Amino acid sequence: MSILRITPQGVEPAGDSLLPIVEKLNSPRDWMAKIPVDNLVALLADFAARLIRDQRTRSLEGCMFLSAWLGSNNLRQLLELNLNGNPAYLDGFVSQGRNYLAAKPQGLVAMWMAGNVATLPMFSIIPALLAKNVCLVKLAYAEPEGTDRLLAVLAESQAGDIRGADLLEAAAVVWFDYRDRQLNEQMSLAADVKIIWGGAEAIKAITALPRMEHCSEIVFGPKYSIGLIDRNKIQSDVEKLDEAVAGFVRDIAVFDQRACSAPQTIFIERNSRLSLEEMGELFAKHFAKLPPKPGLDPYTTMQIVNVRAAWAMDEAKDVIASTDGANWTVCLDRDVSLKQAVQSRTIFLTEVDSWQQIIPLLSPKVQTAGLAFGNREDAMKFAEAATQAGVARCVRPGLMNNHESPWDGKLLINQLVRWVTLKP
Amino acid sequence: MSDLSQSIEQRVDALIRGPQYAMRQAEKDVVLTSILRELCADIAQHCPPYDRFLRRLGRSPADWQTTSDVPPLPVSMFKQFLLAAVPPEKVVRQLHSSATTGQQPSRIVIDKTTAFRQARALVSILKEHLGGHRRPYLVLDAQESATAGDTLTARGAAIRGIGNFASETLYGMKKQANGDLISDWSCIEDFFQRHSQEPMLLFGFTYMVWTRFVEEAERRAVKFKASKAQLLHSGGWKKLADQAVTKDEFTRRTSQVLGCDPQGVLDFYGMVEQVGTVFVDCQAGNKHAPAFADVLIRRPYTLQPVSIGQSGIIEVVSVLPTSYPGQAIITEDQGQLIGVDDCPCGRLGNYFRFTKRIEQAEARGCGDTFAQAREIR
Repeated sequence: MSILRITPQGVEPAGDSLLPIVEKLNSPRDWMAKIPVDNLVALLADFAARLIRDQRTRSLEGCMFLSAWLGSNNLRQLLELNLNGNPAYLDGFVSQGRNYLAAKPQGLVAMWMAGNVATLPMFSIIPALLAKNVCLVKLAYAEPEGTDRLLAVLAESQAGDIRGADLLEAAAVVWFDYRDRQLNEQMSLAADVKIIWGGAEAIKAITALPRMEHCSEIVFGPKYSIGLIDRNKIQSDVEKLDEAVAGFVRDIAVFDQRACSAPQTIFIERNSRLSLEEMGELFAKHFAKLPPKPGLDPYTTMQIVNVRAAWAMDEAKDVIASTDGANWTVCLDRDVSLKQAVQSRTIFLTEVDSWQQIIPLLSPKVQTAGLAFGNREDAMKFAEAATQAGVARCVRPGLMNNHESPWDGKLLINQLVRWVTLKP
Repeated sequence: MSDLSQSIEQRVDALIRGPQYAMRQAEKDVVLTSILRELCADIAQHCPPYDRFLRRLGRSPADWQTTSDVPPLPVSMFKQFLLAAVPPEKVVRQLHSSATTGQQPSRIVIDKTTAFRQARALVSILKEHLGGHRRPYLVLDAQESATAGDTLTARGAAIRGIGNFASETLYGMKKQANGDLISDWSCIEDFFQRHSQEPMLLFGFTYMVWTRFVEEAERRAVKFKASKAQLLHSGGWKKLADQAVTKDEFTRRTSQVLGCDPQGVLDFYGMVEQVGTVFVDCQAGNKHAPAFADVLIRRPYTLQPVSIGQSGIIEVVSVLPTSYPGQAIITEDQGQLIGVDDCPCGRLGNYFRFTKRIEQAEARGCGDTFAQAREIR
């Protein structure tokens, strides 16, 4: 048995071929098409409420945010933004003067998930189901890391006569070895849309798989994220600066800095109030308040140990590190570059004369810029230049990992429907 | 064992000269820590990067209570920095790692004192495993690997160090024009023909021994009858692990080719950053630290020493180097602390087993991008 199926009841062996699973995903398509989207939103609102009450899910990292994201108001806004202002396109033809327009599901959405965020599959599965697709989801690890618990709570959710368990008939979550070419090919060939989350190597391999002619691919990652604190922020208001640093530290700590939206390098504008070293101490103060990490693998531990030593030994650099092992690390330098991501509470603070120096470093590889500017006009100027260079999001510190639409410059639900016309 | 009123030089010399595995761990920890406090402070005075490392990341040497208090320098720092605690005119040799993974090699500067200590220390360790007599020595490598000059690789240093036990030295491999090594079977067969009844010594890099000698001998259906052979081998386990060759399989099939007892096949753990300090397998299959060195296994994350039976990151400690800050080095290898002072072989101190190289986790997420120079733009 090379396939594992992750269900609300747990993990079970599921044979050596994906074809029976793909076949079974055909059944709920008609049923899905008939459910009004408002009913789906209501069901997901019930799921949102259960998530933060249920002992199985409430302690999952990112669960609070997922619950808020699944709220009715947010989902309606999301649908409106993605569907030309009117979610009713999902329920059938909507009049456009003499003609009609509707948003039909693409069909089967195959998703290859990254293993870095427990709640991540939900940010693909829910949009796919809202667009009334069926989905085949491959997790990165055989150990479902919370996805099974999320599915269990969703299965128990209910709104009117729609039950979460019925909705889950349209979503098959599996795991198989990432090197299994045959299963990857089966999955790719079954897909009307492929969604791929992950690092460069995974993306390269999955996009190279054979697929149907009409199949489209939606790729998320790999990306790098940065932060920026301008001199006005540092010089103007001590409390607001402290709040911004606290927000950045939250962005760093969430998901152990493995998400593409987590800042790796934060640029600090030279200023008359705090030196780079003093800014480092401010970050250190907030890092010291974090609870211990649940654990750390040897590889990341050595990455942290290496970067600490390299920064400590270099005369032009400095480092502030936790004394309780490889917990957190603040690396200080004046080398205007994007540093290689170490992750796991390791931040590079780089002093710059002006934010203008950062713009040449930006490209579509940079996803999110966390901005702590003293005034909105300057933030707007930076955002114009940064997004022109390829950055997808400019947000306040503390919001960097908040999943939103658009993400990576894409309106996901919009890409998961086929726009069809009727001219009677 | 060690008189604290003596100078560091005298104390280190006493450790090198004395029995290598006769000190209980608690006593050894006191002896080594007292030397390290002075030695590292002195190295820091002459090596500014190491001084910054200690100041920024460690406690003052004067406050070190045990060897685990000494902040270990990551082994990769010898690739990034040329770490010298002596002026260039005092450097007698520069050691290089083989950089087999295509990375920048480590560069280790050796002064006269360090070179002398390393040579004597290696002899002292091997004497306890091999006995003191000289014997015919077959190097499963090419002569070019051991050519002396201003620079020397880790392999070369080991070949030359073990050569102290040789009555006659033969190189069993040839370097081809493309740099690849092939076994010189006529030379090898001649060596075994002349010496198969005598105690003999062989040394080779583990991967080379396996691919160029053992597998090739098996293909040729060659089996020797060297019942008194002892083969020392080291390094290259990652490549063998990639081929799913375990240490047991290596030992079994190598001893079959040689015609010797499997206990005659001795793996040792060592690195170019600490030449002279090797951790040789005992009869029980464990690796022991000699008197002038120690091994610590540190937990990932907390970096605290593990308890007996637990696994972690290997750190090697040695009081031999005087020309560079190689006294406490945290490696990129994983090992298991098997026990302390109670190995069935009778040797005292910490004993451990090498497990594997530390490798990148399968998935580090979509945030795992590369440095600007390599990937971004």
